[in-house]
Amino acid sequence: MGVQPVIVSAGFSEHASKRSDVNMAELMNEAIEDALSKCNCTIDDIDCFINGNMPAFEGANIPELWMTDHMGAKNKPFMRVTTGGTTGGSIAIAAYYAVASGLYDTVLATAFEQQSCGSTTVGLSSVALGEVSIYLELGYDYEKLRRNMGAGAAIGVGAYQAVNYMRRSHCTEEDLARVVVQNRHNAAKNWWTHLKMPNYTIEQVLDTPYISYPLRFGMVTPASDGSCAMIYTTEENAKKFTDTPVFVNGVASVSNETAIVTSEAGGVGQIDPCVQLGAKISAKLAYEQAGISFPEKEIDYAEVYSPFPNQELMWLERLGLFEENTAHIQYREGITAPDGDLPVNCSGGVNSTNAIGASALERVAEAALQIMGKAGNQSPKEIHTAIGHGWGGALNLITLSVLADQSRRKYKGGI
Amino acid sequence: MARLEYIKKQYPRTRRVHGNWYLSSYQYKFNVKRINQCLEHLRMGELVGLKCRSCNTVSFPPRLICPKCLKMPDQWIHLRETATVATFSGTYAKESGDTEIRPYPVVAIRQDGADTTWLANLPEGFDFFKVYVGMPLKIKWAEDKKGDFSDIEYYEPIEDPSIEMNKKEEAEN
Ligand SMILES: [Zn+2]
Repeated sequence: MGVQPVIVSAGFSEHASKRSDVNMAELMNEAIEDALSKCNCTIDDIDCFINGNMPAFEGANIPELWMTDHMGAKNKPFMRVTTGGTTGGSIAIAAYYAVASGLYDTVLATAFEQQSCGSTTVGLSSVALGEVSIYLELGYDYEKLRRNMGAGAAIGVGAYQAVNYMRRSHCTEEDLARVVVQNRHNAAKNWWTHLKMPNYTIEQVLDTPYISYPLRFGMVTPASDGSCAMIYTTEENAKKFTDTPVFVNGVASVSNETAIVTSEAGGVGQIDPCVQLGAKISAKLAYEQAGISFPEKEIDYAEVYSPFPNQELMWLERLGLFEENTAHIQYREGITAPDGDLPVNCSGGVNSTNAIGASALERVAEAALQIMGKAGNQSPKEIHTAIGHGWGGALNLITLSVLADQSRRKYKGGI
Repeated sequence: MARLEYIKKQYPRTRRVHGNWYLSSYQYKFNVKRINQCLEHLRMGELVGLKCRSCNTVSFPPRLICPKCLKMPDQWIHLRETATVATFSGTYAKESGDTEIRPYPVVAIRQDGADTTWLANLPEGFDFFKVYVGMPLKIKWAEDKKGDFSDIEYYEPIEDPSIEMNKKEEAEN
């Protein structure tokens, strides 16, 4: 095994639907300043930069060309990582390996998204246009395809997962609304989030119309502008930078098939979209590295990537934190509230704030801050082990980082 | 619908400059070798799937490469005209000819005999609240066939014997 990577700091910009006061570079700068201000590390200590966002959503495909000045990255090694929705999770993993390999001592991992700059429709079109063109060529009716794809973009995949999940677990729309309400209440207590709704109720959620059955307008993730920055370093350096180091003990990224279209209009291999074998494999790999044998007992805190409430339930089960088809019952009993047995998404989650490229990094960042005891909406519980999860990419990547307040106890296998 | 309230912060506005991307200028390439055979069968009113000799997975519409074993599937097999709903959703859209936004069902179906799903259509105006996972369907062929996916006009719901069986079982218990 290589060098043990340690997180010493994590920072955010303020998130909103329109950060009309800043451009991409200035938005990125806010998070970096925040991350540096929380530890004794200066920009001169950074040896390598890893940055990313969802391509094409701002209409700038290599935004780093504009941003290096505002990131303090001039004349330093720089890497761009982008895997769609999991961009942040992949950046966290890239930063982990940059340190673990011994190549660099201190790495600044950053991610951002300024969705108000561009058009999400154009961004998504640029992702799916190749597939859509082939379907049209093969005689698919344009109107029907547009309708199918409209429900088949991220929200559609969420809706498919919801339909099959609800069928399996017998959870109701009220259960989904309960997840949303918990997230938005948590967001209201966190300084950097987007949809702060301290007085949101289940009735209000169920009063909104369907966007894609069974997901209602009041249940879905917003489109946000925002950025996130994290500092990864070695155990040695961490002693200089902070009193509250967080050890990264396991990472994994596993791909899984999407639920709508495959290449060249072929049939989709994933028949039940809520099975999520990729998440199970990802969890197995990361837990094994971290020496976790009983995730449901050993993990104290979870940040999962859930733009839609059904996903929060599904991921918690697939990542081994609850038994299959029981997560919604835990929510009814308040187990997942900030003062519950297993606090989940105290930050408000992706359901309250979604700056796409940054979202998965924010999960890791919040998990780290909860261990440090420095989170915006800190759980009163003592947290030793936490996970930060990401989902997305071509709707099929699952990233996972396992963090703890001490280095891994055992390590099977090696690099 | 009541307006959803959230704590909002107003940020001052900086200057904006407009830009444009022309997505229609891109060209995509795809391999028609296998799909063409499938389309030829559709013209004749037949359904064929492609079977991987290595793992016996049948794909419909055919896939060029088996993702499980990375082999080229090359065995064509005939499929039945029936299918089941694998997953579904409903979307709200205003299409040409509509005066207001209407709900439309969106379904992914699994052709009986195949191990994959694909996006299909239900009859126009079908109420999506009546759709469920596992619902049996049957193909309605188009009148004049062109040798592409439009030959399958839509999938028609057929009688589901499992509903009666479930009711009987419940009554007995
Ligand atoms: Zn195979």
